[in-house]
Amino acid sequence: MNNKDIYVIGYGMTKFGEFYNESSSSLASKALFESIKNSNIAKEKVQSVFFGSLVSSTNSQPSIGIACIRENNMSVPVTRLEAGNASGAAAFHQAYSSVLSGLYDCVAVVGIEKLSDYINNETIERILSSTIDFQWEFEMGATLTSLYAILTKAYMKEHNATLEQLAAVPVKNHKNGVHNPYAQFRREISIDRFLKAKRIADPIGRFDPATYCDGSSSVIIASSKFVNEHTDIETKVPILGLGQASDSLALHHRHSLTSLSSTENAVNRAYKIANINAANIGVAEVHDSFPIGEILAIEDLGFFAKGEGAKATENGETAINSKITINPSGGLKARGDPFGATGIAQIVEIVEQMRGNAKERQADNCNYGLTQNVQGTGAMTYVSIFAQNEVKK
Amino acid sequence: MEPPKIWREKRERYLALGMKCLDCNKTSFPLAKYCSECDSGNIIEHKLADTGRIVFFTQVTLAAEEMMSYSPYALGIIELDDGIRVTGQIVDCKYEDLHEDLKVRMVFRVLSSDNNEGLIRYGFKFKPV
Repeated sequence: MNNKDIYVIGYGMTKFGEFYNESSSSLASKALFESIKNSNIAKEKVQSVFFGSLVSSTNSQPSIGIACIRENNMSVPVTRLEAGNASGAAAFHQAYSSVLSGLYDCVAVVGIEKLSDYINNETIERILSSTIDFQWEFEMGATLTSLYAILTKAYMKEHNATLEQLAAVPVKNHKNGVHNPYAQFRREISIDRFLKAKRIADPIGRFDPATYCDGSSSVIIASSKFVNEHTDIETKVPILGLGQASDSLALHHRHSLTSLSSTENAVNRAYKIANINAANIGVAEVHDSFPIGEILAIEDLGFFAKGEGAKATENGETAINSKITINPSGGLKARGDPFGATGIAQIVEIVEQMRGNAKERQADNCNYGLTQNVQGTGAMTYVSIFAQNEVKK
Repeated sequence: MEPPKIWREKRERYLALGMKCLDCNKTSFPLAKYCSECDSGNIIEHKLADTGRIVFFTQVTLAAEEMMSYSPYALGIIELDDGIRVTGQIVDCKYEDLHEDLKVRMVFRVLSSDNNEGLIRYGFKFKPV
């Protein structure tokens, strides 16, 4: 066991959905305790907690971390990170760095968002404006949905993709989500529902985007030293490589509208650290907040050639136990998208896959798993790679 | 809506001023302290071209609170004749009549208004030529 090796040693999450009787701190404290319980360590062993959250909620202070650990009766250093829709992964990367640096040996990461308090969709669009160029996109009239509509049009034009191919993404993800006990929507949706829905931002239809909801997710990460000293720990999933990259905030400043360079740069860095490549990945959780998000992801992560992602999805090559298993959890689409909690929920799913605990969702090929969490239209992307077994680098 | 912000942005929003680097001649928008190409601080204001073409467009039906009164509206990425790209609303037209590469002209309009304070944010939108 390498001293530099760092492991996910526990995980937990709340169901995602609309929980009007829960506050953001109560959801977060629940997820945090679940992950501590799962790791078989005493809560006193957790030296610091990193929180990922975009807005927390209306009825709670932005310093969600301190409110949460008060409910858990803990008094440790807390940090809250904001990276838009990728706040969860940002917190995970920061927590990993704190263990890698030797500052801590065991830390918790909590992703949290409570969005059902915002009863108007227009308010949610206002919140999401912080994830795009506020001055020169949002204030000019753009919304996150309208910018994804432009990304969708650009891809369809460049690669002659069809709406049927794009709709294959949410159809597949809802099929997977049926088996995910944490998912908000555990039912299949027919392709016709997507194709016949009213267009909310041409060519994006009413049912295409992932739904904003409430939820919290948490993982515990620890150094190999800590893992060796605590023999009760059952979950030991190595974190093999991380990568983060950024791109122009505004779409109109990008060189390409048919790929996200932040994803390409982030994953290349992560592959290099992990010393593997795209062909090694058997299962991945990617950011499918809109159908085009998953198509661009599976191309930019190197699973499919540019322009092949939409066709491959329609042909079933991204279903569970096909060429590569993409979003076995149901993705953001079926699981629901509580912004800050999504990045950690992706990691929880991959850890379950690595441990062989995913039941009907289990991918056979899961030597290596990957998560991709995207902020806004791709201004920032975080990629994390996990292994089933310890790997000699 | 904050008066200092509206005041600060007036040259970009009201006069459509971007910037030009005197060292490498790169033009860009919005204003910044340094050239986006060569990092030079030797920059002057550059008036954006009045006309351009639609690169991609869509129709916003669910807008944020302050722009709800305009919805549904057309929105697109516009490539101006000087090569600079901006995002803007496309007005005075039927959505069905829009297409990629359509020539558009910059027009001065209300972008949004604050119901509480009565403040108005003006700026540019585009209309088909």
